[in-house]
Amino acid sequence: MAIEYKKSLAVFSDFVGVEEAENLLQWLLKNPKGKINLAACAHIHAANLQVLMAVKPQISAWPVDEDLQRWLTVLEK
Amino acid sequence: MNALLEQFLSESRDFLQGIGEKLMQLEADPESIPLMTELFRFVHTLKGNSGLFDFPEMTRVLHASEDLMDAVRHGRVKYSQDLTDQLLDAMDFVGILMDEIESTGRIGNNHATNSVELAKSLRELLAQSTVELDTTASEPQGISNIDHPSVDQVLEEFAAVEIDNVQDITVGFSEPEFDLTEDVAAELYRSATEGASVFWVEYIPESECFFKGEDPFYLSRQVPAVLWCRSTLQKDISSLAEMDVYSSQLGFQFLTIATQDELDDIFRYVPDQIQRIDISALAFVKPSGIEGGNTIDDEFISRTLGLLNDSDLERASHSIRTMLELSAPELWSSSVLRWTLRVIELDPSNKQVQSTLIHTLRTHDKIDLVSLVQNDSSEGVTSSDSHLPEAQLANEFVAHEEVNDHSSVNSALMAGFHVILEAQKIVLSSPPNAWSVGRLKSVAATLIAAHRATHQLHEIEHIEQALQSSLTENSARPLLAWLDNILDHVSDVHEVPATTPIDIPVTSTVIEETVVHEEVVDPSAKFGRRVEDASPHFGRRAEDSNAVVSKTLKVDQEKIDRLMNLIGEMVVAKNALPYLANRAETVFGVRDLSREIKAQYAVINRVAEEMQDTIMQVRMMPVSFIFQRFPRMVRDISRKLGKEVELVLEGESTEADKNIIEALSDPLIHIVRNSLDHGLESPEVRVAAGKNAVGKLLIRATQESDRVLIEIIDDGRGINPNVIKQKAYEKGLIDEGALERISDEEAVNLVFAAGFSTADVISDLSGRGVGMDVVRSAVERINGTVGIESEVGKGTRLYLSLPLSMAVTNVMIIESNQQIFGVPMDMVVETVRVPRAQLSSIKQKQTTVLRGRIVPLLSLNELLALPFEQVPNEDDEFATLVVRVHGEHVGIIVDDFRETVDIILKPMTGILGGLGGFSGAALLGDGSVLMVLNPRELI
Repeated sequence: MAIEYKKSLAVFSDFVGVEEAENLLQWLLKNPKGKINLAACAHIHAANLQVLMAVKPQISAWPVDEDLQRWLTVLEK
Repeated sequence: MNALLEQFLSESRDFLQGIGEKLMQLEADPESIPLMTELFRFVHTLKGNSGLFDFPEMTRVLHASEDLMDAVRHGRVKYSQDLTDQLLDAMDFVGILMDEIESTGRIGNNHATNSVELAKSLRELLAQSTVELDTTASEPQGISNIDHPSVDQVLEEFAAVEIDNVQDITVGFSEPEFDLTEDVAAELYRSATEGASVFWVEYIPESECFFKGEDPFYLSRQVPAVLWCRSTLQKDISSLAEMDVYSSQLGFQFLTIATQDELDDIFRYVPDQIQRIDISALAFVKPSGIEGGNTIDDEFISRTLGLLNDSDLERASHSIRTMLELSAPELWSSSVLRWTLRVIELDPSNKQVQSTLIHTLRTHDKIDLVSLVQNDSSEGVTSSDSHLPEAQLANEFVAHEEVNDHSSVNSALMAGFHVILEAQKIVLSSPPNAWSVGRLKSVAATLIAAHRATHQLHEIEHIEQALQSSLTENSARPLLAWLDNILDHVSDVHEVPATTPIDIPVTSTVIEETVVHEEVVDPSAKFGRRVEDASPHFGRRAEDSNAVVSKTLKVDQEKIDRLMNLIGEMVVAKNALPYLANRAETVFGVRDLSREIKAQYAVINRVAEEMQDTIMQVRMMPVSFIFQRFPRMVRDISRKLGKEVELVLEGESTEADKNIIEALSDPLIHIVRNSLDHGLESPEVRVAAGKNAVGKLLIRATQESDRVLIEIIDDGRGINPNVIKQKAYEKGLIDEGALERISDEEAVNLVFAAGFSTADVISDLSGRGVGMDVVRSAVERINGTVGIESEVGKGTRLYLSLPLSMAVTNVMIIESNQQIFGVPMDMVVETVRVPRAQLSSIKQKQTTVLRGRIVPLLSLNELLALPFEQVPNEDDEFATLVVRVHGEHVGIIVDDFRETVDIILKPMTGILGGLGGFSGAALLGDGSVLMVLNPRELI
């Protein structure tokens, strides 16, 4: 699994593919306070990016991948 | 290059040719529906074919052409000359792409832009023509207006189209807007002044892009040398619960110093979804920081401005550095100073920018250097109107001038003003062309803007008058006269210092900017010029003198067949020469002549044989022609059956005659299906049997002397000979005796018997009981043989042996009842003379024992229903031809054997065509006809 859902934390790892987007949105809707851990993430598919940008959840850990982090600065609150 | 692509290229060239011809014909007969339909079909097929390959540039243009043709076909769009031109352009473009594919195997990135432009102009034609049709339909009197538009109308339309274009390009795209840290901005500024292009790219993927398997985010991340980036949502998502995650609302914006080529390559599939703007260096010069109290005193500002004006850059930068050390670095004013230093270092001649930066320390204005410089170098009237800060800035200059009479800033401004006017003069002096009207307007707009910026409002009226008279006269003269007048005046009043170092470089850029400006009125021009040009540039095919000539000839098969027949006759005629030589010697007794004829015969023989070979080569095709469909077929069938199969193809380049290859295709498909269906087991069964879960199917073609051997080998369950025997017995194909007698190999080959099917369940793939016997008869029809070997549990090997060519057949001539007949050599096993004593009768049938084997004997006269006994030779031996029929040896008793010859076998036609027992007839060298027997049918 590219996204591991815990109680109030979604941990992204490696490549998060397009098929995760629907679940991610549902999870974020169910857990409005849910946080996202992106540390181990190398890339997220644009559909997931779109969900994150729309929901703007709290990011508990930023990606180690600097390039990805730079693109995701838009998610900062 | 693979065979499919080769075929595509050769076919497409024909289509292009056809499209060109049809378009020409359509020009003569614009109403012809059949022509249009055919044209549409051509374009449609071409588009479809191009879609098989990875040529988005080509498919895009063809798709647009297809849509346009479809509209024309259905009368939604009226046919016009313009339309033909556009379509011809598009086809030329496709032709150029094909040349490139042929020579390099791919399409260069530089075509992406042209492709988009072409597709767009085709679509525009579609939209325009539709509108035109509407208006003509509603108000017919409008036609005359359209036919003879006034200059104004043309101008209006021109402007409207331009605005349309611009809107088209910038739909959804935003103005470049970025907020950079000073470090990044400084880096960008440095790169830009050092000659690198800094591109502002905005990529707005289409909303359904996720369904096309695209990941726009990934694509954006592929761009190298990105110095600033941002992702955006195109519209606010109001209700998260109703959000469609698979409809993209994303946008990506970034600044990069990647080259245009790199960008084109990355976005080659979506060139219409990106906007790329070349950002000029000055756009990055944006001081930022905390607005503090005025820590910079007026005296420093005046002194630095003075130094800058005197081009004493060393002292100026020294003084700025000292000031920097004295002020807090996070202040806005410090940022201004740092920027001034950077400009002095990187662009020392740009006195204007340096001065303006220092000047803002006094005014505390947010500056827009790009507009300032662009405005000075011929920006349109509109931008000057809409950018109030510049007007204010100009006011500042004027105000400053009033306070301080000999202000250096003012003289710099006037120098710029002068440069602009000079540039306009150059533009006006260039020879008139199609855009003259637009050029005049552009020049006038520039002049008005320049005068407004320098507060010489009274002149604007004169410019407008001059423009009007220029437009009515359709010449640049009045405007030029006015400009000359002003230029004299300007140089009189404001003496431009001869030493001004900015003069020359600025002039050159001004000209460039002006020319570009004429082509596109671009709202984003203030950030530098848009990279795309208004019209695609590529040579027209018709003008291409060294166009690539195709090396492949497409020849009608009939012509080759005719050639084949002719060479056949030639061979026969040639064979008559030895007879002639013989007669010369025996009948006329001229031995020398006979020898000469034989020598000549040798020469003709050599040439004729070579010719025959060459013609056969023409008809040769690689087996890959039929092999190439197998990967797909195997994949589909194995998916359907839930089996895992690895297909291996070998010897695809092996060649055989076209007729053979074509006749082979159906049997082969049948065999492969059978192997997949009956041969290979499902993965579970395979694993249980200790085999690899993935079954292997090998299709191999090899050439063995004058035959092609095709093997289909699987490592499946194999064929159980006992099961086959049992089944064959149940179906009455063999009797009880045979059940015991036949070997395993023979039993396995029973699958080729008519009406045999072993599948327990009849599937929709194979197993209807018509399988393998059809294969056998199809293969035998082309003089091939088929056989099968199998080992239970290990696999099955099925082999087809086929002649390379059907053109020449080697036959043995036999004599019976004083007639001669031919028997194909590939069926002959041996020729023996059997003494009458060794003949024995079993059940009224004659047999003999040859090498310990009982061989049934048949008399040819009997088979042919000739009421004569076969004639033995002097030793009372019967000439017996042993032939192999369906794997069994049969002896045919004839009167005598003769030589073997190569003949061109002609199948019998007409009434004789229905005659069984003969495979055809051939002409012999002496002109007599040889009937060739077909022992299979005979026995």
